[in-house]
Amino acid sequence: MTAAVAFENVEKTYKTGYFGRNGVAAVRGISLTIPTGCVFGLLGPNRAGKTTLVKLLLSLSSPSAGTIARLGEPISKRHTLARVGYMHENHAFPRYLSAVEVLHFYGGLSGVPTGELRDRATKLLDRVGLSDRGLEPINRFSKGMVQRLGLAQALMNDPDLLILDEPTEGLDLMGRQLLRDVITEFRTAKKTVLLVSHVLSEVEELCDELAVIVAGSLAYRGNLNELIGPPGPTRRSLEQALLGLYQSGLYQKGATA
Amino acid sequence: MNLPDAIRTTRWMIRDTIRQSIATKLFWVMLGATVISTLFCLSVSVHNDTPPRVYEWDHPGVLPKYEADKLGMKKLENDGVRVISGEMTLGFGMMTVPVGRNREDSVRQLELILVGLVADTAGVLLALLWTAGFLPTFLEPQSATVLLAKPTPRWAILLGKYLGVVLFVALNAVLFIGGTWLALGIKTGVWFGAYWLAVPLLIVNFGIFYAVSAFFAVWTRSTVASAFGTILFWFLCWMMNYTHHRLTAFPIEGMTATSHLFLDMGYWLLPKPLDLGGIFFDAMYSDGFGVKSEELRLVQEAGRFRPELSVLASATFAAGTLALTAYEFEMTDY
Repeated sequence: MTAAVAFENVEKTYKTGYFGRNGVAAVRGISLTIPTGCVFGLLGPNRAGKTTLVKLLLSLSSPSAGTIARLGEPISKRHTLARVGYMHENHAFPRYLSAVEVLHFYGGLSGVPTGELRDRATKLLDRVGLSDRGLEPINRFSKGMVQRLGLAQALMNDPDLLILDEPTEGLDLMGRQLLRDVITEFRTAKKTVLLVSHVLSEVEELCDELAVIVAGSLAYRGNLNELIGPPGPTRRSLEQALLGLYQSGLYQKGATA
Repeated sequence: MNLPDAIRTTRWMIRDTIRQSIATKLFWVMLGATVISTLFCLSVSVHNDTPPRVYEWDHPGVLPKYEADKLGMKKLENDGVRVISGEMTLGFGMMTVPVGRNREDSVRQLELILVGLVADTAGVLLALLWTAGFLPTFLEPQSATVLLAKPTPRWAILLGKYLGVVLFVALNAVLFIGGTWLALGIKTGVWFGAYWLAVPLLIVNFGIFYAVSAFFAVWTRSTVASAFGTILFWFLCWMMNYTHHRLTAFPIEGMTATSHLFLDMGYWLLPKPLDLGGIFFDAMYSDGFGVKSEELRLVQEAGRFRPELSVLASATFAAGTLALTAYEFEMTDY
């Protein structure tokens, strides 16, 4: 089966200083494969390079070295983005649009046929609990409502790959449950989810496999049991396991998938 | 390049920009300015206009009729003094301006002021200021990441935004010119078709400088830098345009061929706002009532003014700037 995502020796160095003479390495030679139909967790401390990796995958940034494949094609083929949904932690949609207009706009840009926009927007607004607020300008929305709208936006094109970067930020209990339901549906439909999160309980509950990034490098890649140990008295909590990884530097077990 | 994706992106961006313009109240401000200008034109009337008279000397004395009556008309006419017998009333009769020309010239002079000062100078500069925030707002990282994660070519996003803003200004230009033309026509009976040439003039003038605004927006992602950078650039272009004509009309002794070459290069490379104004001046047959820039007049008389090349060079500059902006946008990490 084709991998949903494949990073091969990917590096990203941000240029800084006058004329870009200095550089800050955000990603250092990461090779990582995410299988299709998997709910994959991406973990790491702050400034580890997780969001940079997501941005590279979405063609928001270009890699300094290495290759990336998205849904079986190189990331230079932007048309594969029509099969990708993306939700991040701090959405800033155009404030002059209503919720329905936001979904029409981003759905339209994703290539959803004009005739289907209305139906999809209505169903998704209903799904995320905003059906009664669809015509209101979103500048009246709370952060949680904007996050729900962000989820609906990510689902407008019925994606095969859903990328969620800190998606529960600002969501209430109902919103978190909604997100879990969506992820579970993706797993059932054999679609791929990439979940970047600091909420370890979510990762433990939802992810089939995970990778840990520390200081721009891959510190761990495998399943949860391999990381925290088999059920029994020697099993550690995920928090303990991650702290161990973060503090001891690089732990390269299974670093290439 | 995927053409259907590019066309779809451009279409959505144009649509969104028009929506943004209306939501930011800009449309209503511009419409308000058009309504005020149209009402002003509806308040205009011309009475006792006289046919234009040609005098042998360049600067004949001109006196309002009430002054002329005191001195005696016969004597003044013998002395070749021009007497203003007509009057234009503004503000529904609140203000009276003496006019020494016929009705059509009087109305065309007013139209020239409306386009030259109100629309092409104040209007374009204000539109550049108001629209300078459109792109930076869109390019804030939190907004841009979702947008750029769609299967949309970045250049098409930029083109759509640019065309959306230019179309919005074009719509306002049509409303302004149409409204004032109609009002003046109804009130004075003067229907001068060349006045409509102001629409493409305004669109071209705005479009050239909005390309510069887009470049600053993508480069700096700052509304302030975009707004003031563009206004400063407009002044720079105006000065370059004027200096070129000035030194062509009145050459300085000792100016080297290299200096002339650099001056010509600067003139042909940069947009030429003064030339665009001159083209409209000629289109309105304004020589009978308006005074053109002396430098431009002399350059024209010397046969060194090429209006079509001037517009083409300015448009080429805009296209080049847009291409550079698209490249910068494509290369930027978000």
